[in-house]
Amino acid sequence: MIKAPKGGKVVVKLTVNGIARDVESSPLTSLLHILREEVGLTSPKAGCQQGGCGACTVLVDGEPRRSCVLAVGGIDGSAVTTVEGLAPDGLLSPIQAAFYERYASQCGFCTPGFVVAGHALLARNPEPSREEILGALAGHMCRCTGYVKIVDAVEAAARGEVGEERVFPESRPEEPEVLVPGSPA
Amino acid sequence: MKAVGARLPRYDGLGHVTGRTAYVDDVRVAGMLWTKALRSPHHFAAVRSVDTRKAEELAGVHAAVTHADVPKNLYGHLEALGVPADEPLLADGEVRYKGQPIAAVAAEDEATALAALDLIEVEYEEREPFFDVRKAFDPDAPRIHPWGPVYPHFGPHDHRRIRKGDVAAAFDRADLVVQGVYRPTAIEHCPVEPQTGLAVPEVHGRLTIYSCTQAMYFSMGVVAAHLEWPLNKLKFVGGTVGGGFGGKVDTATETICALLAIKSQRPVKWRWTREEEFLASSTRAPWHMEIADAVTSDGWIIGRRMLTLHDAGAYTRFSSYGLTKHSFHHTGAYTIPNLDFNGYVVYTNRVPTTAMRGFGVTSISFATEMQMNRIAKVLDLDPWEVRLKNANRVGDTSANWVALSDPSTVPVVQAAAKRVGVELKPEFRLMTKDRRSGDLLPDHLVEQLVSTDGGES
Repeated sequence: MIKAPKGGKVVVKLTVNGIARDVESSPLTSLLHILREEVGLTSPKAGCQQGGCGACTVLVDGEPRRSCVLAVGGIDGSAVTTVEGLAPDGLLSPIQAAFYERYASQCGFCTPGFVVAGHALLARNPEPSREEILGALAGHMCRCTGYVKIVDAVEAAARGEVGEERVFPESRPEEPEVLVPGSPA
Repeated sequence: MKAVGARLPRYDGLGHVTGRTAYVDDVRVAGMLWTKALRSPHHFAAVRSVDTRKAEELAGVHAAVTHADVPKNLYGHLEALGVPADEPLLADGEVRYKGQPIAAVAAEDEATALAALDLIEVEYEEREPFFDVRKAFDPDAPRIHPWGPVYPHFGPHDHRRIRKGDVAAAFDRADLVVQGVYRPTAIEHCPVEPQTGLAVPEVHGRLTIYSCTQAMYFSMGVVAAHLEWPLNKLKFVGGTVGGGFGGKVDTATETICALLAIKSQRPVKWRWTREEEFLASSTRAPWHMEIADAVTSDGWIIGRRMLTLHDAGAYTRFSSYGLTKHSFHHTGAYTIPNLDFNGYVVYTNRVPTTAMRGFGVTSISFATEMQMNRIAKVLDLDPWEVRLKNANRVGDTSANWVALSDPSTVPVVQAAAKRVGVELKPEFRLMTKDRRSGDLLPDHLVEQLVSTDGGES
């Protein structure tokens, strides 16, 4: 933890989605606030700001962390990844593609947190069991209660059951696109 | 019909998985201020004075508002129908629930806004709060509103009534009366996105309001009414809602943001904390339901008397509408020919209650299904058979006299039995939703239960 003179600010070095940044802040300011209000990345959400809902989850040195209760002074020198940094611009990572194709998102507010948690799981355990997926997603709240589809999407991404590399924006297909083989088109 | 049955991509799916979907909190406007509200620490109190002067003098504070700043402070969702307004935007003289907003400030950041709240001076005179709807008519119950303990505007009555058939005769004929009391509690909607609003004063004098409302035109009307502005001075941007479930039907943030934006001439955002969501956002109502059913020993329900006490919380909002829906559905998915229903919207010192996923109907569905099980248990009958016997049929009329042209109770109960592996007796397995033909119906009940309106609607 970087210490600051009482009430003062410190400079914290972060690499955010691959870009080095010097952030001037009180060391106790949350990483969520820095990302949203200073860096301008809005995918991490302020759902509860108490570490309870998971909507603010980002990767800090590859590990999913609750950015709303993470003091920025404690992660000096870390690499931070948000959903915006998971894939090159205009492309989806496998986990993003699986969430999109399998309707694992309803209102979407919790989705960035689930996506980075799923991404981190597959990075360290490419073939997780259903129980391991549930463990990795535990504590992420989806109030639209689409949990089954979310777990299915992580499972599908692990198995490589996602479509061709998906580039967006997509042109609007003339024929309704069938996302999942075997669906009643 | 290319789309029916096909799995179409969600139009907002890419935005969701890339983090690009812009919810209200994600909208970026230069020069934006943050809002915090001073909320009542008491369930019920007189407010003797509110003084925001010291708060307004704090460095970084741009504006503070109280009831005195609201052109039309009192609002009611049913004013257009002649029902008087009953809810102040900012408390004036009285607070009737814990968490009710009294004043709000706009400041450079949330910390400054919070510090300003501490400088607002309020004198309260606490009163005894009231929470138990069953005691609303007790002579010594605290008086929350001057007009009495219940919402009094159901036509000439102070309660929603349904009278159908001859309920006294049904109870005379009954082999047994089965009674039940059902009390589902309040539920917080708890969307992951808290209530958030952003009002931007435009140079041409209009306001652009970013809203997470589920009901754009309701909310526009609410803001316009409080401001006494024409609708064409408001531009609402919305439709992207981070979960609502009914809890974002009532207008929570937009009007106070608008007032502060007008006063400060700066963009103003108000994002509730999770604590505020649980403390002060509206919930699904707790309901108190008492049912007495006149039944025959073979499981026909021939009459229902029912009393419902709907806990509105401190203000009416849409409660009378919810109770009316509840009354229309008070026989559930079943047909009961003789009805006597009285339902009251009762005020308490809880947060105002509101819509949630089947406003008014989920409570009665719960009560009715529990009552069906109870009837089956008391009569020692199969609960599936009791349901199928009393199920709505084509040509039956609902509690509010709507003729049913395609009721689905029979096929749904049969399908449910099949899915859970329950073997129905042939006469129940073969039942259809068609007009009552007297299937299994004893002769003396034909007159009671067979529709006589002469045709399908």
